[in-house]
Amino acid sequence: MGTTASQLPKELLSEYQELTFLTKQEILLAHKRFSELAGKEDRHHPNPRVPMSKILMLPELKSNPFRERICQVFSTSDVKDGSLSFEDFLDLLSAFSDSATLEIKSHYAFRIFDFDDDGTLDSSDLEKLVNCLTGDTDDTRLTAEEMRQLISNILEESDIDKDGTVNLSEFQHVISRSPDFVSSFKIVL
Amino acid sequence: MEDRERKHVNFQRLISEESCSSTLSDESCEYYQTEIFDQLPSSLHHRRQRGGSHGSEGGRFSQPLKALPISLREKRNTREHQNLQRVNIGFWESWRQSQQKGCRRIREQMGMVLSGMLPWRRTFHKIEGKFGVGVKAYFVFLRYLLFLNLLHFIIIAGTVLIPTVLYDKNVSEDYPRTNENDSVLNIFLGSGFVERSPVFYGFYKRGSLALTCLNTPILFLLGIACILILSLFMVVRRTVVGFKHTWLTENRYSSNVSYKVFCGWDFCIQDPQTALLKHSFIRNELKMDLEEQKFQQKVSQRSLGQWVRLVFLRVILNFIVLVLLTGSFCMIYYATEYSQIQLTELHWILSLLRGYLPSITITIANFVLPHIFNKIAAFEDYSLSVQLNLTLIRSIFLKLSSLGIYLFFVYTVRDKQCWENKFGMEMYRLFIFDFLACFFFAFFLVYPRARLVEKNPTSKFARIVGKQKFMIPFNVLDLVYSQTITWVGLFYCPLLPGMSVLKLLFIFYIKKFTVLRCCAPASRMFRTSSSSVLFHFMLLLSLLLSIVTLINNIVQFEPGTCGPFKGDKTVFNVTSACVNSLSDPARNAINYLTSEAFAFTLILAEIIILTSCVSRGQANRHAIERLKDMLVMCSSDKRFLVKQHSTWLRRQRRTQTSVRSPGIREGTYFTQWNETSEPLSVPMGESS
Repeated sequence: MGTTASQLPKELLSEYQELTFLTKQEILLAHKRFSELAGKEDRHHPNPRVPMSKILMLPELKSNPFRERICQVFSTSDVKDGSLSFEDFLDLLSAFSDSATLEIKSHYAFRIFDFDDDGTLDSSDLEKLVNCLTGDTDDTRLTAEEMRQLISNILEESDIDKDGTVNLSEFQHVISRSPDFVSSFKIVL
Repeated sequence: MEDRERKHVNFQRLISEESCSSTLSDESCEYYQTEIFDQLPSSLHHRRQRGGSHGSEGGRFSQPLKALPISLREKRNTREHQNLQRVNIGFWESWRQSQQKGCRRIREQMGMVLSGMLPWRRTFHKIEGKFGVGVKAYFVFLRYLLFLNLLHFIIIAGTVLIPTVLYDKNVSEDYPRTNENDSVLNIFLGSGFVERSPVFYGFYKRGSLALTCLNTPILFLLGIACILILSLFMVVRRTVVGFKHTWLTENRYSSNVSYKVFCGWDFCIQDPQTALLKHSFIRNELKMDLEEQKFQQKVSQRSLGQWVRLVFLRVILNFIVLVLLTGSFCMIYYATEYSQIQLTELHWILSLLRGYLPSITITIANFVLPHIFNKIAAFEDYSLSVQLNLTLIRSIFLKLSSLGIYLFFVYTVRDKQCWENKFGMEMYRLFIFDFLACFFFAFFLVYPRARLVEKNPTSKFARIVGKQKFMIPFNVLDLVYSQTITWVGLFYCPLLPGMSVLKLLFIFYIKKFTVLRCCAPASRMFRTSSSSVLFHFMLLLSLLLSIVTLINNIVQFEPGTCGPFKGDKTVFNVTSACVNSLSDPARNAINYLTSEAFAFTLILAEIIILTSCVSRGQANRHAIERLKDMLVMCSSDKRFLVKQHSTWLRRQRRTQTSVRSPGIREGTYFTQWNETSEPLSVPMGESS
């Protein structure tokens, strides 16, 4: 275990400190957890990627209904399989850290909630979002009538320019009015 | 005029909703998005910002790289780009930027060290993970009170304790440390050797430090005034900050759905059980909101007979609440009266009980009545949030006014030698008993109950009783109550803040044990922001109550036969003596500052400032409304133009390829838009 600190070169560590919101201890801990996930076979690979299925096993993510979306948003993989490299992992932790700004958090929240990656939250995105929140099984889902009413309520409130979808600036407008968001949009190892 | 405008806007919105729900427009939406939306100036600007390749905007450098929503690799590229640019810009500019960077780093380090010094972060994290943010807010509030009391204690130590110890050497000789009558019981009753100790007001005397403007009474007064003003300032500030947030979210508080959906999930949750609870909590809340919407509809449709019946019911229930309150006040009165009568030679247990009778009565009333209020509110047919607030308001009223009534009665039976000490003693007892009640409640009620439920979870008892729920508002009320006692008793028992620090420390660990070990997560969670405003608002109320009590007390009654103000006509004699000893200009200035003329000017100035603030706020609100309307107009204009453009493009393409078959569908689409857009239809017609 003592070797984990030496695995990260000093200049890399300070670079990470500059480019993320994480402290030195947090980066080291993240590195330790990441190498545990990566396992032995990838240890000699210069830039190993951990598949999404393994990332989802982290206790911090295990009971999160948005865990797959989180992986997909932070993954820089070319094949879009949601696998994370160590730097992607740091990006994830940085966005979810205590000291990240509201701007960053709301930006990533928007991308996580934008299930079809088209840059706006339309009614199908909202429906998926609500299903994630209430639990996605038949007896926990809202009825179709309730869902319709709910989505029209949401659009009525936050769709300022009335184009039928919620875009990033409208989303950030809603978020900026809710002081709890920064404290609840948080994952700490 | 305004009305017409609004109608117009609604009309626009209706169009947009219709057009977006139809599949036809969905298809065209995708179509024109790829065609022209990418070329719009605004989206070009957006893309430039996200790509990070054009770092030349001024705002870029001032923002730290880590605050950009891009991946690490892109951040690295951006940094290299910035470095390249730094070579190009002058020496001075690059030096300034590196200075800025250094300053920022130092600030961040400082912030990190400071936040690292705050205790209990790990515990908070654990509680947050298991019970959500709401319960954590309670513990944060507790920590805030702890620091507040620590600050008070430091002030007291600086102004009262240390001068007394340094200058009044004979004080300790005057009072023998122990007496043959003293026992451990005195710690609980606050009598005997505790009464003679620095805990109480009577200990402090005019010592050898006896300048006209620097003596024990003045320092004493200064310390107390400092504490009260400082806490008023701090509490008001926190309340206002929170209030601003809720005021912003207040707009449509009852149905703020988008907030609940977008910020609904608590990403801190790790426990699968809690995640399930959170799911069901969000579901219930959303359903409750929808039901509330229906409830409002139902309310608007209520018939006259139903209204009469409901009002009648509410009047009766309010009457019951009033009777309960009066009953508890009467009980407090009799208990106080009984405990004040001097009786000769009782058994020590009885005398202990008698000393604590008012405290016991108040605590029992405060414990039982809120639960009854909770039950009563269910019958009143209000919406759920109103019910909750009503229960809370009644409980706050009960807590504060029972304390107030008690204080009032204690004053009226004031004929003792050193009444200040007696009063301090009452506060001391309330304070100690509050702690004992918390202790016993945790270890003799909640813990056994949790053990019992855990041991045989299938039994009927366990199913009916269940585990204790951690009710945040009531627990916060307890804290506020204890803080009120500290503030009221401050003058007569100056060591109360110090004792309060210890007490809160113990309470923290007791509550932590209760929450983590014995409590099940509550089925109703509370929103942090609104509840923390409520916490601080309660604190403010209690502070006002204590300040009013203290000032009334100081102004109305002559100082007794002990303490620093012994022999003075009023407490403020010492300050006027000091002012009289000053030179003429200083005295005149102080006299002017305390006169009515100055107060009048101050009030006038305040009125002017307030008026300007209010009118500015109104103007801003109007501007926001107008901007919103303009935004709707602009976006519908944009959509309209883009649609025209896309139909025109399609038409052109169709004439080029000369394919006739999809023409019917697109033709209808075009004519549909043609009807609403007469001015533009002429050039369109020409082009085709």
